[in-house]
Amino acid sequence: MSIIQTKDVKKWFGDFQALKGITMDVAEGEVLVVCGPSGSGKSTFIRCINRLEQHQEGQIIVDGIELTNDLKNIEAIRSEVGMVFQSFNLFPHLTVMQNITLAQIWVRKKNRAESEEKAMELLERVGIPEQAQKFPGQLSGGQQQRVAIARALAMEPKIMLFDEPTSALDPEMIKEVLDVMKELAKSGMTMIVVTHEMGFAKEVADRVMLFDEGMLVEENTPEEFFNNPKSDRTKLFLSQIL
Amino acid sequence: MVDLIKKNAKSLQESLFSSVGSAVLTIATTYLVINFFRGMLGFALTSDKDWLAVLNNMQLYMVQAYPEEDFIRVWLSVGLTFVLAGLSIGIWRSDDRVKSSQVFNSFFKGGLGVLFFTIIAPTNASFMGNDGSVITEEVFSMDTRLGILIPVAVFCVIFFSIRFINVKFTVNSSDMVFFYLFIPVALLWFVKLPTIQLDQNNERIIPDPVMPIADTTKIPWTVIFVSFLVSYFIGMYLKSIKSIKSIMSLSWFLLPLLIFSWIFKKPQIDMSVVLGSDLPIFGVFLLWGFLVITFVNNSIFKKYYSTYLGVTFLLTLVGVFSGLPMLAKTCLLLIALFSVVVPAVSTSSQGKRSLLIVWAVALVTLTFLLRGGASDTGIVVPGSSIFGGFSLTWLLAIFGTYVSFPLGVLLALGRNSKLPIIRIVCTGIIELTRSVPYITWLFFASVTLAVFLPAGVEFNLIVRVLMVTAFFSGAYFAENIRGGLQSIPKGQYEAADAIGMSPFQKISLIIMPQALRAVIPTLVSSAITAFKDSSLVTIIGLFDFLTIGKTVIGNQSIPVNFVGHDRENLIFVAIVYWIFTFTLSRRSMKVEKKLGLGER
Amino acid sequence: MKNALKTLSFFRNVVFLKWASQVVFLVGLLYIIWSYIQNAVVNLEQTNIAFSWGWLGETPGVSIAEGMYTLPNSGRQMIQVGMLNMLRVTVTGIFAATFLGTFLGIARLSKNYIVEKTSTGLLEVVRNVPLLVQIFFFQAFVLTFPRLEVFDVGTYNLHVSAKGIAFPWLNRQPTAYLFWVYLVAILILANKIYKWRVQILEREGRETRPFLWSVGIFFGLLVAGWYGGYRVMGVIGFLAGYISTGVDLLPAIFYQILFSSVAVFIGFRSTKKFIDSKKSEEAQGIYSDDDYFKIILNVVVVLLVVVLMFSSVGLGLSNFLVGDEIVFKADWGVPQFFDGVNNKLYWNPEAKIVLEAELDGMKKAEIVDWIAVPGTEVTKGDVVAIVTAKDLKGDLNQEISINAKYTGVIEEVFVSNGDTIKIKDKTYDIRVTDSKPLELSRPKVEQIGTTKFKRYAEGFGKSLSVGYFAIWLGVVLYTAIFISEVVRAGIMAVSKGQSEAGLSLGLGRGALLRLVVLPQAIRVMLPPMGNQYLNLAKNTSLGIAVAYPEIVAVGQTLYNQEGQTLPVFLIWMAFYSTVSLTISTIINYYNRKMKIVER
Repeated sequence: MSIIQTKDVKKWFGDFQALKGITMDVAEGEVLVVCGPSGSGKSTFIRCINRLEQHQEGQIIVDGIELTNDLKNIEAIRSEVGMVFQSFNLFPHLTVMQNITLAQIWVRKKNRAESEEKAMELLERVGIPEQAQKFPGQLSGGQQQRVAIARALAMEPKIMLFDEPTSALDPEMIKEVLDVMKELAKSGMTMIVVTHEMGFAKEVADRVMLFDEGMLVEENTPEEFFNNPKSDRTKLFLSQIL
Repeated sequence: MVDLIKKNAKSLQESLFSSVGSAVLTIATTYLVINFFRGMLGFALTSDKDWLAVLNNMQLYMVQAYPEEDFIRVWLSVGLTFVLAGLSIGIWRSDDRVKSSQVFNSFFKGGLGVLFFTIIAPTNASFMGNDGSVITEEVFSMDTRLGILIPVAVFCVIFFSIRFINVKFTVNSSDMVFFYLFIPVALLWFVKLPTIQLDQNNERIIPDPVMPIADTTKIPWTVIFVSFLVSYFIGMYLKSIKSIKSIMSLSWFLLPLLIFSWIFKKPQIDMSVVLGSDLPIFGVFLLWGFLVITFVNNSIFKKYYSTYLGVTFLLTLVGVFSGLPMLAKTCLLLIALFSVVVPAVSTSSQGKRSLLIVWAVALVTLTFLLRGGASDTGIVVPGSSIFGGFSLTWLLAIFGTYVSFPLGVLLALGRNSKLPIIRIVCTGIIELTRSVPYITWLFFASVTLAVFLPAGVEFNLIVRVLMVTAFFSGAYFAENIRGGLQSIPKGQYEAADAIGMSPFQKISLIIMPQALRAVIPTLVSSAITAFKDSSLVTIIGLFDFLTIGKTVIGNQSIPVNFVGHDRENLIFVAIVYWIFTFTLSRRSMKVEKKLGLGER
Repeated sequence: MKNALKTLSFFRNVVFLKWASQVVFLVGLLYIIWSYIQNAVVNLEQTNIAFSWGWLGETPGVSIAEGMYTLPNSGRQMIQVGMLNMLRVTVTGIFAATFLGTFLGIARLSKNYIVEKTSTGLLEVVRNVPLLVQIFFFQAFVLTFPRLEVFDVGTYNLHVSAKGIAFPWLNRQPTAYLFWVYLVAILILANKIYKWRVQILEREGRETRPFLWSVGIFFGLLVAGWYGGYRVMGVIGFLAGYISTGVDLLPAIFYQILFSSVAVFIGFRSTKKFIDSKKSEEAQGIYSDDDYFKIILNVVVVLLVVVLMFSSVGLGLSNFLVGDEIVFKADWGVPQFFDGVNNKLYWNPEAKIVLEAELDGMKKAEIVDWIAVPGTEVTKGDVVAIVTAKDLKGDLNQEISINAKYTGVIEEVFVSNGDTIKIKDKTYDIRVTDSKPLELSRPKVEQIGTTKFKRYAEGFGKSLSVGYFAIWLGVVLYTAIFISEVVRAGIMAVSKGQSEAGLSLGLGRGALLRLVVLPQAIRVMLPPMGNQYLNLAKNTSLGIAVAYPEIVAVGQTLYNQEGQTLPVFLIWMAFYSTVSLTISTIINYYNRKMKIVER
């Protein structure tokens, strides 16, 4: 059963059409890697999935709930979809621990002890339990991104969206973030990952998609995608990136 | 020692005489500065100045016509402030230590300053008499000059040479506050000042006899100093208590309310109102809070929680604009906000208990303060208010900030809102308010505002001034806060959305704390401006600190003759304002530095 | 999407909630405003002071201490005096504060210890004392000088008394207007010449000495102008006169229609542009709720302007331009301005006598008899004409003799017998114009008539009243201190690397400052500088505390007379908003210009 379904999703920014009818679906537990040149609409697309951007035409159904102007639906979807950003977007005025417990306390209405326990568990999972009382500004980029992943996981989401999680990082830090993501993928989390890390795609992805100029150009298994692409656009893209 | 002088001389030469232009500038500026100080000293010392116009009127300056038999209330207010300050200094006691050499150096420099002024002080000074002729007189005789010069020079030499002896120790920088405060308090017991005394014909004895300072001044100050010291030690002892810092912050917030509604005001409590209206309201809301705390996480109630919240907010909205007693209105507002917070905290029985305590304490405090504020005052003074002089200036400054800050936050949020109508309205309010000078708003308060109020509703002029000040400073605060809001990256909003926060949570937990922190320096300078601007009420005839100095004292004619002694009083007023604003801005710079370190 | 909307209950629809909450907010706000206005109407009825603007046309019956008219004949004129007095402080204050502030700002960056500490000390004192206290102190400083009556009548170099401060000054002659225009013109010319020479330098690569050229020509023209050359500017007078006549010719309805159609045109064009942008191939004509709101707002604003134009507001505005109510327009100085320019910028102003006289409440005067005819030599104070003054109703009132204000030869009589003239001051002077536009004179203490009171004679040196001195010095010093902070921050914002880069290119200190540091610093400084100017303009309102009759003080006097507090408050608001808007427009203009330069 597919957990995310989109039908002919279109989106404009003023005169510019960012998405030109995207139709796809994601099954539960599937890891989907979305790649494409910059400005191809891939980030816009995953931001539409948890309503950070509003699509103008078409349908997006997440876990059986359609994304419309309905207040309750938006709230429900957001608490089921976790998101990790390119620029981490940690809250700089809160400690790592507070960053992770905040939403549990205020949105999930858990009590403090419980949420702190959960936070420590997640910090151990991403490998930085010792940084709990530090402020984000005191951490390295890789550590910050891992905290961001922990923060998203604290909401116990069914789906995780990653918006170029490694592109703001130094090369030596990319690995530590990718390791966390791999571990997450193996645990059976449904993930949509926008990334340029083709190694990650090869190793973990169940499916790879290529976006170009707001359209879904190719959708394939990783083996086929890298070794035997269907469209010329994919070949060109691969030749540029590899 | 020779090396030291050589080194200093060389750096002096480099900074002052590096080139011909620099040398000319140095000499010209020095000439100007010395002549300026000579002029000021000459001005202060000539016989046509009567500094007793300032000294003799301290009481007027501080509390205007506050009745003497109730002075204990004034002292109590000052004392409480000092006790709280002592506690705070003890609790926030810094670990910075001041080196002995730094202390000695500051003494040495202070001594040098006195020497400088003693040397440059003019022997003769002149002033213009009433007939346009220039009168020259001796103001600073050689004997006086030497009498000051020699001991101060010795003092300087001692503290300069101490650095060559191996006396080294360090003092905690917080402890130094007591030392600096000890000096003036000790001086009160030894200094004798010229005092105005009247003879049998009720005329001023000239020259003024030199007398020790009155007991009514020095005893309260000594008591205050001692309690300050004691509370400092208590504060150090209390330091270990977990939530003491937030309790202290809250106390600082409540202290002015307490002072103005109970201590200073001497409220005449009508027990029938207390029993008939206050207590029932108190009881109802205590029960309401108790019910919410107990049942909010009950599964049935939880289902209707949003309905309950909606009804409560609607009730609040209706209640605030209805004829309910003030206490009920405020409680409604409080319970609405309280209901929003409760579900997150009241998950365990321990959380419930502490919530109930917080709610009860808040209600008691609110009832207590509002009753004091709403009751008639037992203080009888001429004029429109029991507050006058410096207490009025304080009242305006503190309550101006109290009311305008929340309004500023709301306006800033409105102006930054995505909702176009709200944005346009808030922008309009801010820009219209800011386009006109403060003084026109004060006139609006004093003459026009009454026109807009329903018949029968009348506010004291001070309340009306506070109302317009709320809007005026609020608009300025709003612009500052908006600057902070604009500095928050878009990603912060998105991250908060992505973890499912409601707009209210997003603003109050993520955006506002960051925005406010970013603009603390501008907020402080706005608050300083508001403090300085409070002096403008003198134009609409309120008896604030400036009015006392400018108008009231200048009209005292019998038996003293202070007519025409505006300048002395204005200088005194300026110095007092200066001390407060200067200290405040220096403090804020330090806080800013500390925050900057903590954040990155 | 349409499917979804059908099933969605409205109270959970985000779009519905968004607009519903705003409409509720707006309605609530309007209700509150409306209820307060209702209160005001009821309260005003009870006190018998209904809201009205009628007092603008009535004679207020109070005098103003200083300004263009000391005995204004209408509320309008009184407000006009207040505005001019406010602008006098603001405009001169802005220049002085900028100059002083820049100087102090640079001094604070000085490596010289004493200079740096002195300017910092001044900063800390001025910044931390309320402006009002400072202004009071300056006032008290002057007020404690002896009264003017104790001094002898005579001429002084510098004079201070409880009445104010007087010092030598270049006093304007009637043709000074022409000279100022000339000065601006040659400044622009010098600037153009500089650019032209630079162009040649860049094109041909030879030394063209642009600076020398422009400065040389500027001073050459200045000298030529001083000795009479400035009169070529008189041509502006003709043009201005024609424009004024042209504006008067058309009927009021024309302006109402003109303004409405301009509003409709602009509104229509911007809406059309907006819709067109939505119609483009890619946007496919999809509108969000915000887009609809924008279009509706556009239409509402245009409708509002049209309605306003055809209401009494628009009619008043049009009548004002047409000059139907000649007194109305005259009170705001519009025809005088045009006519004045026409007269004063006459092609050959030297050959003219300008008659300027006024009497309280008098609007017209007839010259009965000219004693002095062209060619007569007159000395200052000679009676040159006898004039009858009439009041507005045209009743013959009073004969006044007119004295010459300057010594010289009358070359031509400008105002002919029977001309209507304005009566202005209690000294009824004929001004014999001198060839020089400005004249240096020293202050003079004179007796007022036969009373025992004395005053500083007008037209001799410059005398500042106590109020003007206090408020001017107060706001200038206060603003200068804040400007010095702006300047300091601006210069410090230009990184050290920039200076080093400039120096390594071989630029000299001066060129470095002019070409590298200042352009960047000014860009940083301009917006905060604009804020300081706005503060200065608003702070002039403290003039009321020292009895300087600026707009707030005048307004207060007026509502104490008439009881009309609300209209006065609206006038304050409109005036200050206009001044603030003007200042920020100018600053924004320069800001944009600097940004283009930067690129």
